[in-house]
Amino acid sequence: MKLCEFLRPASLPAAYGQLRDLGPRGMILAGGTALHFMQDHTPVTAVDITRLGLSGIRAEDGGYVIGATTPLADIQRYRAPRWAMHEICRRIATHQIRNVSTIGGNIARVFPWADMPVALLAMDASMRIYAGPEAPEETPSADEYFAEQPARRFLGGKILTSVRVPALLAHEGYGSVKVVRTAAAFSMVTVAAVLKLDPASGAIRAARVAAGSAIPFPRRLPEVEDALLGKEPNEALFLEAASKADAPWRGKEGMTAEYSKHLAEVSIADALADAARHALERAE
Amino acid sequence: MMNQTAPQPAVTFTLNGETRTFATRPDEKLLDLLRRNGYRGTKFGCGQGTCGACTVIMDGRAIYACLLYSMQAEGRDIRTIEGAGTLDKPSEFQQELIDGGAVQCGYCIPGMVMSATALMEAESTYPDELVKEYMDGNLCRCTGYEKIWDALRRVLDRREAAAKKG
Repeated sequence: MKLCEFLRPASLPAAYGQLRDLGPRGMILAGGTALHFMQDHTPVTAVDITRLGLSGIRAEDGGYVIGATTPLADIQRYRAPRWAMHEICRRIATHQIRNVSTIGGNIARVFPWADMPVALLAMDASMRIYAGPEAPEETPSADEYFAEQPARRFLGGKILTSVRVPALLAHEGYGSVKVVRTAAAFSMVTVAAVLKLDPASGAIRAARVAAGSAIPFPRRLPEVEDALLGKEPNEALFLEAASKADAPWRGKEGMTAEYSKHLAEVSIADALADAARHALERAE
Repeated sequence: MMNQTAPQPAVTFTLNGETRTFATRPDEKLLDLLRRNGYRGTKFGCGQGTCGACTVIMDGRAIYACLLYSMQAEGRDIRTIEGAGTLDKPSEFQQELIDGGAVQCGYCIPGMVMSATALMEAESTYPDELVKEYMDGNLCRCTGYEKIWDALRRVLDRREAAAKKG
C-alpha cells in the first residue's frame, strides 16, 4: 500500500460514494496501524472514516454497541455489569497501539493472529454494515461475518459501522487465553469461550468456543462445544473436550504443529475453566 | 516539482501549543514530518510500532508517530518531547532520570517521558499495574528498566502524596 491521496469525507454517504467510485484503488482508513502489514507498493487513496461519529460505546437492549472507529483503549476502559470486552483489549499490542487501533480495523481485514475475531465469535457478536443510502443495513452474525475474509465484503464501498456484543446473561461466563512470548507480541494461540450453566443442575447448557492464530483463520470449535453440552464443568471434562478440537493446527515461529496443537488444547481447557468460574459467579 | 498540477497536501495541527501548518505527502508518517521540521527529539527506532522511541501525545494519548500518517493529525493536538522539558529546565521525571542514573544510551528516553506524561495527565492514582499498562509500549535495550521504573515511581509517589494532602 502506498497512500497517494488522503480523503476526509464528512458523512457516511459521502465516504460510501468515494469508496464506491475508487473501487480497488480506495482504502478505508481508521487507526491505520494495520497498514504496516500491507507493505506492497499498490497506490491507494485513503478514505479516513474516523471523523464520522462512529466512535463510542453505548448500552442497547440486552447488549452493547461499539462504534467501528472506537479505539481499543476505550473498550479496555469501559466497564458495565454484563460486559467482558475489556479483558481482551487490555492484552492486544501496546498502550500506544490501543490508543489508535480500532475495533473495526481489527476485524474489517482479519489477520491470522488477530484476537478480536476469536472473542467476538465466542460472544456471538453481530456486525452492522452500511451498504449505501439506498440499501438496508447489513447485520451479519459473527459466524456469518467470519466465515470468510471479511475484507471481501467491503470492496464495493460498504462500511462497517459498529459491532454489537450481547450482554452476558445470568449463569453465563466468558473466558479467554492469549499465549504470547512477550506481552506485546502476536498471539501464538488465542482462545475465547462463553459457557452457560444450568442454574439447577450446574451442567453446561450452552457453549461457544473459538480459536485463532495457530490456525490459518479464526474459527469456532463445534466439536469442543458438543463435547461439553450437558456435562458437569470440571478440569477433566475441559481437557477431554479440548482434545476433540478438529482444527488445522500449524507450526510457526519455532513451534511444531504438534506443539501448537498441545498449546491450543491446554489453552482451550484454561479458557473454559475461566468461563465456568465467571458463570458460577454470575448468579443473576 | 514533478507534477505542477497536483496540489501539495498540507496538514494543520497544534504542535506543543502552537497552531502549525506543514507541507506533507499522503504517505508521510508523522514521525518523519516532525524530524524533517527539526523536531528530532522524537526518535526513529523500529519504525513498526514496537519500540516506543517515537512516542508523542495526540489529544492527550500516547501514540506511535512512526505508525500515524501525518494527514491523520489534522486538527489534533500533538505534543512532543520538545514540549516536555529543556536542558535548563527538565521536567520532574527527566530530573529523576538524571539523578537516578537511569539513562544509558538514552534513545528510548523521549518516548518513556511522553508515555509517563500521558499517564500522569490522565490518571490521579498510580498503582503498579496501571503504570505498567501505560508504559508497556516502550522498550529499553540498555537498562533492564529498573532505574527508569524507580525514577518514575518516585515522581508518581510524590504526586500521590501531594494529592492526599490536598
